[in-house]
Amino acid sequence: MVDTSTTDSLLREITGPTPGQMLRKRVFGHQGLLFGGIVLAILLFIAIFAPLLAPHDPYAQSLMTRMQPPVFLGGDWEHPLGTDHLGRDYLSRLIYGARVSLMIGAVAALISGVIGTAMGVAAGYFGGRVDMVVTFLINVRLAMPVVLVALAVVAILGGSLQVVIVVLGLLLWDRFAVVMRASTLQVRGREYVAAARAIGASTPRVILSEIMPNIANNLIVVVTLEMAHAILLEAALSFLGLGVQPPTPSWGLMVSEGKNMMLFEPWMVLIPGAVLFLLVLAINLMGDGLRDVTAPENRS
Amino acid sequence: MKTSWLKSGIASVALVAATGAAWAEKANDTLRVAFTKELENVDSFFNSSREGVVLQRAIWDGLIYRDPVTNEYKGNLATSWEWIDDTTLELKLREGVTFHNGAPFSADDVVYTVNFVSKEENGVKTQRNVNWMESAEKVDDYTVRIHLKEKFPAAIEFLSGPVSMYPAEYYAEVGPSGMGLEPVGTGPYKVVSVVPGQHFVLEKNENYHDSPKGQPEISNVDIRTIPDVNTQMAELFSGSLDLIWQVPADQAEKLATMDQFTVMNESTMRVGYLNMDAAGRSGDTPVTDLRVRRAINHAINREELVNALLKGKSRVVSTPCFPSQFGCVEEAAKSYEYDPEKAKALLAEAGYPDGFTIDFYAYRDREYAEAIMSYLNAVGIDTDFKFLQYSALREQNMKGEVPLAFLTWGSFSINDASAMVSQFFKHGSLDDARDDQVLEYLNTADSSTDPDTRIENYAKAIERITDQAFWAPMFSYNTNYVFTNDVEYTPTADEVLRFTTMSWN
Repeated sequence: MVDTSTTDSLLREITGPTPGQMLRKRVFGHQGLLFGGIVLAILLFIAIFAPLLAPHDPYAQSLMTRMQPPVFLGGDWEHPLGTDHLGRDYLSRLIYGARVSLMIGAVAALISGVIGTAMGVAAGYFGGRVDMVVTFLINVRLAMPVVLVALAVVAILGGSLQVVIVVLGLLLWDRFAVVMRASTLQVRGREYVAAARAIGASTPRVILSEIMPNIANNLIVVVTLEMAHAILLEAALSFLGLGVQPPTPSWGLMVSEGKNMMLFEPWMVLIPGAVLFLLVLAINLMGDGLRDVTAPENRS
Repeated sequence: MKTSWLKSGIASVALVAATGAAWAEKANDTLRVAFTKELENVDSFFNSSREGVVLQRAIWDGLIYRDPVTNEYKGNLATSWEWIDDTTLELKLREGVTFHNGAPFSADDVVYTVNFVSKEENGVKTQRNVNWMESAEKVDDYTVRIHLKEKFPAAIEFLSGPVSMYPAEYYAEVGPSGMGLEPVGTGPYKVVSVVPGQHFVLEKNENYHDSPKGQPEISNVDIRTIPDVNTQMAELFSGSLDLIWQVPADQAEKLATMDQFTVMNESTMRVGYLNMDAAGRSGDTPVTDLRVRRAINHAINREELVNALLKGKSRVVSTPCFPSQFGCVEEAAKSYEYDPEKAKALLAEAGYPDGFTIDFYAYRDREYAEAIMSYLNAVGIDTDFKFLQYSALREQNMKGEVPLAFLTWGSFSINDASAMVSQFFKHGSLDDARDDQVLEYLNTADSSTDPDTRIENYAKAIERITDQAFWAPMFSYNTNYVFTNDVEYTPTADEVLRFTTMSWN
C-alpha cells in the first residue's frame, strides 16, 4: 500500500507547480507589486467606504476652529490631521478626496484606454490606410500640449468633475495608441496568428483571442501610467483653480488652498501632497509589477 | 510644542536675512514695496484699483487735500475755493508749482484736465469720479471755475480724492496710454520707470511745493508686483522688500509674533457684499424673488466671518456703504440676523424647498468666497463657483450676466455715501437692482446741498435697498501693513499708502 502523501509529492515532482502556484509565487515574490497593490487596495477601500470612515462631514465649516494643527504637531484627536482654512476636518476631506482622485484616474484611463487601444490595434493589425490615418491622428494629438489644451477647454466649459474626467479621457489616449500599435505589429506576423487565420478564424476572433492576450501586459503598464498621469493632471488643474470646484474635496485643491499658509503651516500642503505622491507611486509600482509577472517571457 | 521648531527656524533665518539686507537698502535710501495686483494703467483715470490710488497720490496732486486724520479740507494745488452759485466753484490756484517735466502749472492745466475727463466718450474708468463736472473755464492764469452738471455737494471731497491735475500740453500729446507709461504730475514723487503692471520706480521730487501732503523723506521707492503673498513674505524675510500691505489676517498674526517686523492693522472703507441680480438681467434666476434674496441675507453668519476670517478692525456692515461715509445712515438699514432656519423657510416659501443651483462669481479673497459659499450650501443653495479676474468679472457684470457675486467696493476712499450707493444704484451698467424708487431718492440726495435733505434721502435709499435685499452687505475690510523695523510709518484708515509720511528709523 502506497502512502498517499508520498504519491502527491511524487506527482508534484513530476508535474512541477501548477501555473496558478507559479503566478502566486511571482506575485508574492515581487515587492514593488506587493507594496503598490496593498497601498492601492487600502486607498480604494478608503474611497469606497469614505462615508463610514470619515470622522466628520467634509463640508462642515466651522470658522471658529480654523487651521487646527494635526496631532503630530500638537493638535488634538478630535481632528487627527487638523482642520483647513475654513475649519473643515482635514482627514475627512482627505478621505473624500481619495474618491475624486481615484475616480478621475480610473474613468479617464478607461475612456482613453478604449479609444487608444481600438485605434492602436486597428492600425497595427490592418496596416495600410488605417495605419496612416491613425498615425496621423496620433501625431496631431502629440502636437498638442495636454495641460494647455485641458486648461483651455476647462476654462471655456467651466471646471467640474465631469468636465475634467471627459477632457482628460479624450486627451490621454495617445500613449495607448502608440504602444498598442507597436505591440500589435510585433505579434501580427507570429506563427500562432497565422495558424489561427489558417484554420479560418474571423478577424475579431484573431484580434480578441490571439493578439489581445499577448499584448495585454503592455496595456496594463500604459493603463497604470495614464491613470497616474490623469490623477496628477486633475491635481494640477484643481490647484490652478480650473479643475474640481470648491467645496468638493480634492487633493489638488487642498494643496492650492493650503498654499497661502505654506510659510507658517506647511503641513496643509504636505499632507495632501504626500498622499498624492503615495497614490501615484503605488499605481506605478503596481503597473511595473503586473507587467513583470504577466510578461509572456516570464511565464515559463 | 506646537510647531515651535518650525517657527524658530523661520524666525532665525528671517532674522539673519532681514538684518543683513534691509540695512543695505536703508543705506541706499530705497524703500521696496510689493503690490499684489497688476496695475492696468498708471494713469489714475484709467484704472480702478487700490494700487492705482496709491500711485495717484504719490505722482499727482488734487486741487484740494483732505487730511486723512482730521478730515479737514486743505488747499493743495488750489489755495482757496468758493461757491459762486450752486453749480459753479471758483478756485484760486497755487503759483510757482511745476510739473515733473518742468512745465509750469496754471489754469490751463486744470481746464484741460477737467474738460478731458468729464467727457464720457474719453472713457474714464470710474465715471462716478468725474461725471459730476460739466466743464472748466479759465478766469485768469491762476483762477478757474469748474461748472457742475447739477448740484453736487460731494464736489470738494471728489476734488480732494480721485480728481488729480494733469499737464495740459503733455497729456494732449501722449494721451492716457502715454501717461500710463511715462507719468508726469506735480506730486511728491516723480516716476523714473514703469514696466506696465510689474515694476514702478519712483524718486523724490526735490522741488515739491509746500503741500499739505508733506515733503517726501525717502529718496527712492521701488514697487514690484508680486501676486503671491508667500513670495512677498519670503522676500520680506530675505530682506529684499521693506514693506508689504494687504497681508491676509492669518499671515499677519504670525508675522506679528516676530520681533523684526512691525504689523499694523487699519480699517478701510472697503465693504464686501453679495450682489444679486434682482432685475433679472442675467435671466429669470431665483434671486429675482425677494424672498430668495432675503433668505441669502439670513444665511450668512456675518459675525463669524468678521471674527474668524477678517479679524483686525473689520466690522459687520449692514449698509450698502461704509458707515463712516456722510449719508450712510446705519439706523435706516434693515439688518438680517444669521438664521439658517428662517432662510430655509423663505426659500421653501419662494418655491425652492430643496434649494437651487446658481452661478456664484467672485474675484478676490477666494477664502472668504468659499466660506460664504459654504453658508449658502448649508441652506440648500448649491453654487457653481466662478473665480475670475476683476476686470473680467466687471465686464460680465456690466453686460448683466452675473446672477450672484461676491464683490467689494472701496469708494476710492471718498468719505461720502454717494461714492458707493450712487455708484451702484443709479441704473448704471453695474446696477442689477434697477429700482426707480432708489434712483429717485439718490437723485435728490446727490443733488442737494442741504445736509439734512441729503441724509434723509440717503437714509430712504438705504432703507429701500436693504428692505428689498438687492444686496447682502456683509463686512468691512481691514488692511495689515507689515514692514521692517527700519521703516517708520503710521497707516491711515483709508487704505492709501502715503510715501510722504514714511521715513527711516
